[in-house]
Amino acid sequence: MSAIRLHDVTKAWGTARAVDGVSFEAAAGGFAVLLGPSGCGKSTTLRLIAGLETVSAGRVLIGGTDVTELPPARRGIAMVFQSYALFPHLSVAENILFGLKVRGVPATERGERLRSTADLLGLSALLERKPSQLSGGQQQRVALGRAIIARAPVCLMDEPLSNLDAQLRHDMRREIRALQRKLGITMVYVTHDQTEAMSMADQVVLMNNGRIEQNATPAELYARPATAFAARFVGTPPMNVVSLPAITGEGLLLGLRPEHIRLGTEGVAATVATVEYLGADSIVACRVGETLLNARLPGRATFATGAAVRLAWDRDHTHLFNAADGRRVEPASAPATLAA
Amino acid sequence: MNRASAHIHGWLLLLPAAVLLAAFTHFPAFATLWHSFLSTPKGARPAVWVGLDNYQGMLEDPVFWQVLGNNLWFALGTIPASIALALLMAVWVNGKLAGRGFLRMAYFTPTVLPMIAVANIWLFFYTPTYGLLEQVTGTLGLPSHNWLGSQSTALACLIVVTIWKEAGFFMIFYLAALQSISPSLAEAAAIEGAGRWYYFRRVLFPLLMPTTLFVLVNAVINSFRLVDHIVVMTRGGPDNASALLLFYIYEVAFKYWDSAYASALTMVLLALLGAAALLQFAFLEKRTHYQ
Amino acid sequence: MISARNPMQPGGWGRALETTGAWLLALLWILPLAYAFWTAFHPPEFSTRFELLAPLTLQNFANAWAAAPFARYFINTMVLVALILAAQLVLCTLAAYAFARYNFFGRDVLFMLVLVQLMVMPDVLIVENYRSMAALDLTDTILAIGLPYMASAFGIFLLRQTFKTVPRELDDAARVEGASSLQVLWKVYVPLARPVYVAFGLVSVSHHWNNFLWPLIVTNSVNSRPLTVGLQVFSSTDQGIDWSIITAATLMTSGPLLVAFLLFQRQFVQSFMRAGIR
Repeated sequence: MSAIRLHDVTKAWGTARAVDGVSFEAAAGGFAVLLGPSGCGKSTTLRLIAGLETVSAGRVLIGGTDVTELPPARRGIAMVFQSYALFPHLSVAENILFGLKVRGVPATERGERLRSTADLLGLSALLERKPSQLSGGQQQRVALGRAIIARAPVCLMDEPLSNLDAQLRHDMRREIRALQRKLGITMVYVTHDQTEAMSMADQVVLMNNGRIEQNATPAELYARPATAFAARFVGTPPMNVVSLPAITGEGLLLGLRPEHIRLGTEGVAATVATVEYLGADSIVACRVGETLLNARLPGRATFATGAAVRLAWDRDHTHLFNAADGRRVEPASAPATLAA
Repeated sequence: MNRASAHIHGWLLLLPAAVLLAAFTHFPAFATLWHSFLSTPKGARPAVWVGLDNYQGMLEDPVFWQVLGNNLWFALGTIPASIALALLMAVWVNGKLAGRGFLRMAYFTPTVLPMIAVANIWLFFYTPTYGLLEQVTGTLGLPSHNWLGSQSTALACLIVVTIWKEAGFFMIFYLAALQSISPSLAEAAAIEGAGRWYYFRRVLFPLLMPTTLFVLVNAVINSFRLVDHIVVMTRGGPDNASALLLFYIYEVAFKYWDSAYASALTMVLLALLGAAALLQFAFLEKRTHYQ
Repeated sequence: MISARNPMQPGGWGRALETTGAWLLALLWILPLAYAFWTAFHPPEFSTRFELLAPLTLQNFANAWAAAPFARYFINTMVLVALILAAQLVLCTLAAYAFARYNFFGRDVLFMLVLVQLMVMPDVLIVENYRSMAALDLTDTILAIGLPYMASAFGIFLLRQTFKTVPRELDDAARVEGASSLQVLWKVYVPLARPVYVAFGLVSVSHHWNNFLWPLIVTNSVNSRPLTVGLQVFSSTDQGIDWSIITAATLMTSGPLLVAFLLFQRQFVQSFMRAGIR
């Protein structure tokens, strides 16, 4: 099993830095997700690990070996592309076997491995088809098959589920996770979908503007976001990060997850702006002065627009961020009026 | 819009183009067939039905067979070479070699120039004693040779000019096809350990197959259609050694004024083009495979 | 988003080798043209002698221009090319619109009949088309050169494919606003197909500027001869073998197209590409 380490990796095109001094370690046999908005450098980081781009500065290590100067084929990796990159003129079987043929694996062994891989992914009945005759989900499986048949210790995935519909995406999430555990692969997975990251990852590397915002477990990312950006990126709906100097004092931003706000008879005075009913719960947008706060309440909330309410939350659930640089400030050092 | 008026509108829109097409493509094609069964009118003697006489004469005409043979050699000489060069050029121009813009310009320029003009330039190039080719061979100490005036080399000289003129044109189609191939295929192949040659052989070339067939059909058509340079460079000579079918038709029709025999020859040309059409149909079948 | 480095590009020695090969081929390819330039811009005594300091001259061009009615040939060619293009644009647009958006009786058969012209081009029907022109008393006119090419199957096909990609909703929206069929064509389809018109126009102009055999057959006087035929008449009869003047005339006739190509290289290449992808 191979851990992946990036040391201060930078990728610059001219003066633009797509990846800017990124360092992290993805544990051997773990599932690391590179998360972030489009253009944040996550895909470039993955391509730097793959060797499809050359680094401008820094080192990339896979399994303890410095692979910075090695071509993709010699890094011991497999990759699944967003577009799947299936060869349109080759059958499913030929696509899956492409790498084994290149590497000159004997035909008998190829046959065995093809059979077991196809069984694993439920592709046995489709082996003679061309990619254009497959559904999106089936193409995705073929791409997976091509990635795992070589038994590379590391698998890289670039937004592999973004072309699938919601239901299929949900099923494939579980399947990919199960497959990764079963085969013990080190996985690096790129996505912009925080739900995908939270549900699949052992470790989330959240990126923004070419830099790492936070590198943590999903639970940690949710419970203790390191920056205001991380706080706003995770959660459905995301955390309220607002400026309420009356509560926090000057120079601080207040972070509150919608699910942690209660509406009742005590606390901060507010008026109801909108109510959005989602079935299992409702999102109530409340106005405190000029600031809007979303609260998530179970069931169907019945508030009239403009109704006066009071908002309360537990001290444990408050997050504070420095207004200047967005960094997290531990609530211990914050004023006691926080629990409204 | 009701259905009747949709029919009428459709027909009206089509009418002007249809009239011209019928007048200058379909009618002449049938007229050619008809006239190939008649004799050539001479003076006061009108054309009369002669059945297959023109075709009989054609089979007995040694020039016809020579011209057909020439055309076959011309096709074999120009088509594979220009397609292979076009593919090579396209791969080079599509890559990131130094001076890509200049390369593309150099390869493509012959395509935009009139064949008649470049034939003049090449004529000068091949000129005995003081043409550039003679000067080069002279410097190398080789004996002087009349390239266009010799039966053994005249056709080859025309083949070279045609390849030079066409390769850049066909390059464009390959370039378009190469640019439509997703770069992630090359990346996927690289990750699987495929080298440049393996990738070309097993991925690029098969993916370019529809383009190759398309170019092939065009090249076949051109090999029967392009005769401008013959008029300038050899006039079919010496001794018909460099005459092609269409050039022969031109000579028979407008030099010997034997229009009936020219019609019969044109029927042969149309049959050959029809065969190319069938090839194109096969190509369309193939193409749907990937989409 | 990401300007990827293609991993299938050659590296190291392979790259140097391929670059050299590509350049050698390119130099070979422009050699005839360079040779023509040399001869045309130098006095006749240097036409086959290559000396770095040979004097440059425009005399060959002046001589060529004076020796034959090239001005008239230029006008003829421009009239011819403009005539053909204008007719093609109108006829092909109307026909392509009918094929793309009308469901009329016999449409598919008619379309097949149009496509026949892609194989059986006017270029090979010279005998019968000459007979027709003679019957119409049109020989030796510019119209006769252009007529067989005005209904271009290639143009109809290209525009039909383009019109078919226009969303029906745009068509419907324009009709809801009260536009007639021809207004919809003019306001919706034609503007959306502009790049294709440019592509087709460039291909058509360069093709008919260069066309030779049919004009050679159907013309026999200065009044209707286009440049290509004029050049041939000039270089085969009038001039013996004064290569300096012939190459000057040759460059002159291809000049406008060559200059246009060098100036708008990218558009040319893209147009030929667009016209080629069917």
